[in-house]
Amino acid sequence: MKDINVIIAGAAGEGIHTVGDILARTISAQGYAVFTWQEYESRIRGGQNSYSIRISEKPRNAPLLQADALLGLNDGAVNKYKPLLKEEGILIAQRQSRKRMITIPFGEVAKEELNDKIFANTIAIGALTGVLGADLDTLNQVLAEKFKKKGQGIVQGNLSAAQKGYRQATQQCKGMCAWKLPRQEARYYLVSGNEAIPLAATFAGCRFIAAYPMTPSTGIINYLAKEGELLGIFAEQAEDEIAAINMALGVSYSGARAMTATSGGGFALMVEGISLSGMTETPVVVILAQRPGPATGLPTRTAQGELLFSINAGHGEFPRLVLAPSDPYDAFHKIVKAFNLADKYQMPVIVLTDHFLADSQFSVLDFHLNTVSPTSYIADPQKIRDYKRYQLTKNGISPRLCPGQSRHLVGVDSDEHDEEGHITEDLDVMVRSMVKKRLSKLDSLKQEISLPEETNVNDADIVFVGWGSSRGALLEGLRLLKQEGNKVGMIHFTELWPLPEFSFPNGKTYITVESNATGQLARLLRSEYSVSFKGTISRYDGLPLTGEYIRSNFNEYYR
Amino acid sequence: MAVKDYIREKFFPHIWCPGCGHGIIMGGLIRAIETLQKEKNDIVIVSGIGCSSRICGYLDFHTLHTIHGRALAFATGVKLSRPELTVIAPMGDGDAFAIGGNHLIHAARRNIDITAIIMNNNIYGMTGGQYSPSTGYGEFATTAPYSNIDHPFDFVNLAIGAGASFVARTTTYHVTSMIKIIEKAIMHHGFSVVEIMSQCPTYFGRKNKFASAVEMLKYYRDHTTPIGSKDKKNNPDLIERGIFIEKEMPEYCDEYDKIIKMASKGE
Repeated sequence: MKDINVIIAGAAGEGIHTVGDILARTISAQGYAVFTWQEYESRIRGGQNSYSIRISEKPRNAPLLQADALLGLNDGAVNKYKPLLKEEGILIAQRQSRKRMITIPFGEVAKEELNDKIFANTIAIGALTGVLGADLDTLNQVLAEKFKKKGQGIVQGNLSAAQKGYRQATQQCKGMCAWKLPRQEARYYLVSGNEAIPLAATFAGCRFIAAYPMTPSTGIINYLAKEGELLGIFAEQAEDEIAAINMALGVSYSGARAMTATSGGGFALMVEGISLSGMTETPVVVILAQRPGPATGLPTRTAQGELLFSINAGHGEFPRLVLAPSDPYDAFHKIVKAFNLADKYQMPVIVLTDHFLADSQFSVLDFHLNTVSPTSYIADPQKIRDYKRYQLTKNGISPRLCPGQSRHLVGVDSDEHDEEGHITEDLDVMVRSMVKKRLSKLDSLKQEISLPEETNVNDADIVFVGWGSSRGALLEGLRLLKQEGNKVGMIHFTELWPLPEFSFPNGKTYITVESNATGQLARLLRSEYSVSFKGTISRYDGLPLTGEYIRSNFNEYYR
Repeated sequence: MAVKDYIREKFFPHIWCPGCGHGIIMGGLIRAIETLQKEKNDIVIVSGIGCSSRICGYLDFHTLHTIHGRALAFATGVKLSRPELTVIAPMGDGDAFAIGGNHLIHAARRNIDITAIIMNNNIYGMTGGQYSPSTGYGEFATTAPYSNIDHPFDFVNLAIGAGASFVARTTTYHVTSMIKIIEKAIMHHGFSVVEIMSQCPTYFGRKNKFASAVEMLKYYRDHTTPIGSKDKKNNPDLIERGIFIEKEMPEYCDEYDKIIKMASKGE
C-alpha cells in the first residue's frame, strides 16, 4: 500500500490533539504502523495548529509534509493548511470549498441530532475513519476505552456521533475515496519519546527525578508525577533547574539512581551541577530536550542546537557521556545505557532529544527488552577495610559506597581532594593524580561507545551524515534521491561524546544534515576525525527535517 | 561518643582566622550532637562554599562539600532518598540567603526535615570582604568602600515568612544556649533554621571599626536580648535571640509517604 498522510488542523483548545490521538489509536489498533507529529504555537488557546498522522504498512517513523486527507475543524484552519493538501487529496470540513471533499457541518449535526455540541469532534473522527476505509468497530472500541471514566451516557453519545460521521462520509465518498484499511495482524506500540524515556528510566532502576517545567521536556515529569508511584519513581518539581540537578545529585550520592530533564535554558542553569557531578564523581542522567534558541526561542518547535553546548557544558575538564537517540526504541535502549554507564564511570550523562522526538508518536513492533538490563556498580562495603571514596586506580574508577550502608563514612568534595575526599592543595602529587584519574576514565569509556550506523555507504558517492532524531527523515531522503538516480548513503550518529574510533571512507562527498544553523555536527566531526564536508543541509525554522526537505535542498544546493 | 570522636583531628589546626566565630559554632554543633548521642554514621553534613562550608573538613560524619549556594538542594536529595539519616546543612550568610536564597525559601516551604545552620558573619570572608545580604545599611565592605546602600535581610523573619517550622537566632557569645538551640533544631521534625551571629574580625571587624574579636563578642552580648525581654521594650534596637517559631507541621517526606499510599491504593 502507498503511505497515507492525514493532517488534522484546528485552533488550540479546539481538540485536534484528542481527535488526532483517537484516530491514531484506531488506525494502530487496526494493525497499521502509525507515525504522528504535531506542530503548534506557544499558546494555550487560538492559533492554528496541526496534528499529522502517517499511515503505512511497515513503520516509517518520519514525517511527511503533504496531506492525502485534511480535516479542518474551522475555516481558518482549512485556509491555512489547504496548500498542503494534494490535488487528488480529500478535504473534510464543515463548508464546501472544493470538489474533492466531504462536507459535514459537525457542530450543527451534533447540536441538532445529538443535542450537544461536544460530540462535534467525534463526528469528524467518524468521518475520517470512513474516508480512510477503516473499521467503525475498531473506532468504537477506542472511544469506549477513552471515555469510560466519563460514564455510559458520554460513551453512548460518542458512539452515535462516530456512527453519524462514518455513515455520512462513506455516502459522500462514493467514487472518490480509494483507501481501504482492513484489519491486519500486526500490533505496534504507539509511543512518544517522552513516554519511552520515563518507562526506560524505570526499567533501568531510576528511583528519582527532579525537574522544573520546560517544554519540550515537561512530558517526562508529568508522566512520572502521574505514574511514579506505580513505577516506583519519586518525582519532585524543583524550584529551578539548579535545584533539580543538585537534588538529583544528592539522591545519587545516597545510592539511588536519579535523573533530571530540561530544555536548553534550564540546561544552562544546570551546567554548574554538571561540573559538580564531574568533580565529585556522582552519577546523574540529564535529559536535554532541544528546542530552538537562543534564550526563549521557539518553545514549541524543534531543533538540534545543543550538540556542542552539551559536549562542552561545565567548567573544568572531566569525562561525560553524550547520547542522542534516534527514536523511542533507541531512546529506551540509550536510557538504560545512560544509567548503567553513569553508574559505572561515576559521571554525568546527557541524553539529547528534541521536541520532534519528545512529542511525536512512533510505531515500535518490539522493544527487545531482553537485550538490555540495569547493572549496579556500587561497591560491596564488606570487602573494604579502609574506605577511600577517590582511591587511585588503574582505570580511574574508585569504589563507590553510599552513606548509611555500612560503617564507612562517605565524604565528597567539590574542591580538589585527596583519595579520602578531603580538600587538598597538594599540587605536586595529589592534584595531578586526581585530574589524571578522572580523565583516564575516558579511555575505557570510549570502548563502550557504539559506532555510527552506516546505510549504503559503500556504493554511495554522496554520504549524508546526521545525528539523533533525524534518522527517519534521512532514510526517507535516501529513498527519494535514489529514485532520482543518485548514489547516496548515510552515516548516522547516536553516541556523540566521547566519539568512537571510526574512519570515514575515502573518496566520498560528505554532507551533514542537521536541525541547526551552524552545522554543529560538521564542526565536531571535522575536529575529531579530520574529515571534510562539502557543506550542511540545515533546517532551523523550528520544523522537523523531512525526506522531502533533504531531497529538495540537496537538489538545489549540492547537485 | 566524646567530642573528640566527632572530629578529624589530623586536619587541625583549622583554616579559620584567629578570632573567627565559626570554630565556636563547630564546637556548639559537635556538643549538641554529642548530647543527642547520635551515631557518626547517621549524620550527613552538607555544606556549600565559603568560610562556613569548611566545617565539613573537620567533622567526622558523612560530609559533602558541595558548591556555593546549593547545599540545601543537594541535602534535599539526600533526605528524600534516605529519610532515616539526620541531615544538617551549615551555610554562610551569602551561601544561604544570596546565591542560595531560592533553595532556602523553598526548603522552608516544603518543611523537609533538614537543619539549616546559618553562620552569619555579615560578610563574604573567603573572597575578601565583600558585602553580603546581612551587611547593614551604612556599613563597610570591600565592595562598599563608601558605605553600603543595601538594606539587610532579617533572616529570622524571612525564614518564618517562607514557612520554616523552627526558627531561632543565637550568637557565638551565648554558647550554652546555642548548644541547646542546635539540639532542639536537630530534634525538630521539619525544616529548621538557626541563625548564629558569628564574628569575622578579619574583614567585617576591621572594615567596621571593631578593635578585636572580643569587641565583637561584647557587641553580641550588649546588643542582643532574649525574645520578649523587658530590655527590648526599652530599647527596640536590640536584636532578639531565642526560638521564634517551633511548631508541628506535616513534614515533607512523611507527606510524600502518604501520597504513595494514596496512589497505590487504587492499583
